[in-house]
Amino acid sequence: MTDSSVSTPVTLSSERSLALIECGNASIGRRNDEVVIGISPAFGNFFTKTITGVPHVDVLRELLAGIEEQGIQARVVRLSSSSDLAVIAQTAARLSGSGIGVGILSRGTTMIHQKDLARLSNLELFPQSPLIDLEMFRSIGRNAAQYAKGEFPVPVPPGNDYMARPRWQAKAALLHLKEMEFIKPGTQPVELKVEISARQMSARPVVTP
Amino acid sequence: MTVVIGVDIGNSTTEACVAVIQDDGKVEFLGGALAPTSGVKGTPDNVKGVVEVIRQNLRTACRDLTDVGLVLINEATPVISGLAMETITETIITESTMIGHNPDTPGGVGLGVGTTVRFRELPECAAGTRVVCVVTSEVDFADAAAGINIATRRGVDVQGAVVQRDDANLIANRLDHPIPIVDEITLIEKIPINMSSAVEVAPPGHSIRTLSNSFGIATIFNLDADQTRIVSYVARALVGNRSAVVVRTPHGDIEDRVIPAGTIELSGDTGKLHVGIDAGASEIMAALRRVQPLHDASGEPGTQVGGMLARVRDTMADLTGEDRVEVRIRDVLAVDTFVPQEVKGGLAGEFALENAVALAAMVRTNKGPMRALAQRLTEALDVEIRIGGVEADMAVLGGLTTPGTDRPMAVLDLGGGSTDAALATRDGKVRSVHVAGAGDLVTKLIDSELGIDNLEVAEEIKKHPLAKVESFFHIRLEDGTVSFYDSPLPASIYARVVALTENGLVPVPTRHNIEKVRQVRREAKRRVFVVNAVRALEQVAPQGNLRLIDFVVVLGGSALDFEISDMIAEELAKYGMVCGTGNVRGQAGPRSAVATGLVAAHVQRIRG
Repeated sequence: MTDSSVSTPVTLSSERSLALIECGNASIGRRNDEVVIGISPAFGNFFTKTITGVPHVDVLRELLAGIEEQGIQARVVRLSSSSDLAVIAQTAARLSGSGIGVGILSRGTTMIHQKDLARLSNLELFPQSPLIDLEMFRSIGRNAAQYAKGEFPVPVPPGNDYMARPRWQAKAALLHLKEMEFIKPGTQPVELKVEISARQMSARPVVTP
Repeated sequence: MTVVIGVDIGNSTTEACVAVIQDDGKVEFLGGALAPTSGVKGTPDNVKGVVEVIRQNLRTACRDLTDVGLVLINEATPVISGLAMETITETIITESTMIGHNPDTPGGVGLGVGTTVRFRELPECAAGTRVVCVVTSEVDFADAAAGINIATRRGVDVQGAVVQRDDANLIANRLDHPIPIVDEITLIEKIPINMSSAVEVAPPGHSIRTLSNSFGIATIFNLDADQTRIVSYVARALVGNRSAVVVRTPHGDIEDRVIPAGTIELSGDTGKLHVGIDAGASEIMAALRRVQPLHDASGEPGTQVGGMLARVRDTMADLTGEDRVEVRIRDVLAVDTFVPQEVKGGLAGEFALENAVALAAMVRTNKGPMRALAQRLTEALDVEIRIGGVEADMAVLGGLTTPGTDRPMAVLDLGGGSTDAALATRDGKVRSVHVAGAGDLVTKLIDSELGIDNLEVAEEIKKHPLAKVESFFHIRLEDGTVSFYDSPLPASIYARVVALTENGLVPVPTRHNIEKVRQVRREAKRRVFVVNAVRALEQVAPQGNLRLIDFVVVLGGSALDFEISDMIAEELAKYGMVCGTGNVRGQAGPRSAVATGLVAAHVQRIRG
């Protein structure tokens, strides 16, 4: 009973659209109540959904919602110089006024990083992209914001599925190769303005429990 | 010249010290060693631990087993102790009258009063009605906010909202007019619809004022005096929360039920007394003082306390192999405590702090097995074994090797299972007493009060000061000072409360902040060790007058604790005593007093 009652909201994702407007090179934040989300070169432009088809617009919306619910500000930056998650997450953390950053690849792999950590270390890592659903993206945003507040959240269970590797590895490799084509070496991280179009209330399906 | 070894078998550790006695009677100590006690103390199971500790000690002293002329063991005090803890209250919500849980992030601020309405029925509400909107998890936060805004623009007075997901701030941030919102209500479908209700959210750092006040609730719902009496339980359960929801249902009720805890029967020298467990620890301890010395204690059958004492008795009977009818409880220590427990019938996994009583009981065992133990040790080591003396006398002798002490002197031996006191008068007589409750009880209290459910972790919290990891390069210690690191700390302890152990920083798995953990730790130690120190010394002091004792030397494993000795010293200073941690042989600290005392007693005997 509990399971069904706390299900993910019925969101017909195609109804929302994502606009990422570039506004110059990203600078280091001065306020310590912010979390910076770093996205990979092709996130939300060439690619529009994760490896399992979760739309990027909803991924970003849930990450931002998780952060906002905690009363923390969020900035989004794009890294075009690398498709290495550790580099993206660490760069985001170093741009963040609180020192907390979230990095995300187009296929959905996500990491929470802190500016003082070694590159290959992390606060939380979600390596199996096929297992991350919207509920988890919300929790990742929430945890990042709680770290920024100096709280100690219970880490989000990253999930583990032994079949994920054989089942998704080939697709993950292809997605990775494609993402690498969008790398522009030597470029600076770019600050993005995120516009998520609201759904039309009239177009909303009647939700019956 | 002979080499002798004094061995003290304690409840949790076995200690040894090697000494060389020259022919002219001069004693030279060659250091000590300790190992965990194997089995229940005073039984043949101890052989393994004793052999281990002797081997270890000889290795550090660079001697061989063949050099050893004599091994002295103590007449182990035949007391062992057991623990039991039982909650004596429980909170049950019948029907859904209140949601008193504390979500981390409620939205908006203020008090809203209105009729409960499902979100999808909001468009059907007439303008001017006062409603509280119930938002289930199917509704997206943006849609919820938009829906409430449309209703408000239409003239519906949306006073507040209750939300299933963690969405309160997300909705509140998108409203034209902010309203109080309480979220993370897991079982939201149980909230009765079309009932009058109130939602209150306090500003950050504050707690609610209206719904935690019986008359506040009475005002909102127009209650009469009888109804207010019933609702006072609701108000009480909500005290200290940052947010709350109260729904008025025709038959709703909340009970703060007292579980039939039963009475404990204490029989002693001066007769029998019955005390109700629900009277609390202070009443039980007062009754105990009236009947002292205690001969036996038993609980009313079929009640909580009956079960508790029966369990202690069973455990003791198992450990000692005695018949359970023969097991006599010779001392109890009752401690008031509380246990966080999930409220029955709650809608959001609310927890209430239920009252509980922890009992440490001490059992006197048969003295028989000591001879058997000595026999087995002789076989194992092929060395003469002598039972050297009564533990308390030996502890005093060992304690007297602390520089700066003199008779009349009392020693307090803070162990794992029991707290022992012994007083040596000027003429050399020794009076001793054992009282129930020591380190193990403290661990248990910390474990249950913080809801950790892991005794090893609780033990770490007990033994070490705390710190909060504030960045990868600095931690703030519990006294407010900061210490810095050159290389980054591991990511696994980032932002966590940690214990400063010998093995580095160990994270404490709790959501409580450092002040709370510290307070629970110190309070547990105070309620067990400080209370027991006074209680034990009263029993050995001349005419029960603590002012007649000059020196108190604190010994035993728990005396190594970083704060217990100080807490006891502070308390005993009120009685004009000089109290401090022992330093046996001027070097061994509070450890090894009995082992040293055994050797000292042996030397006294051969000198005649």
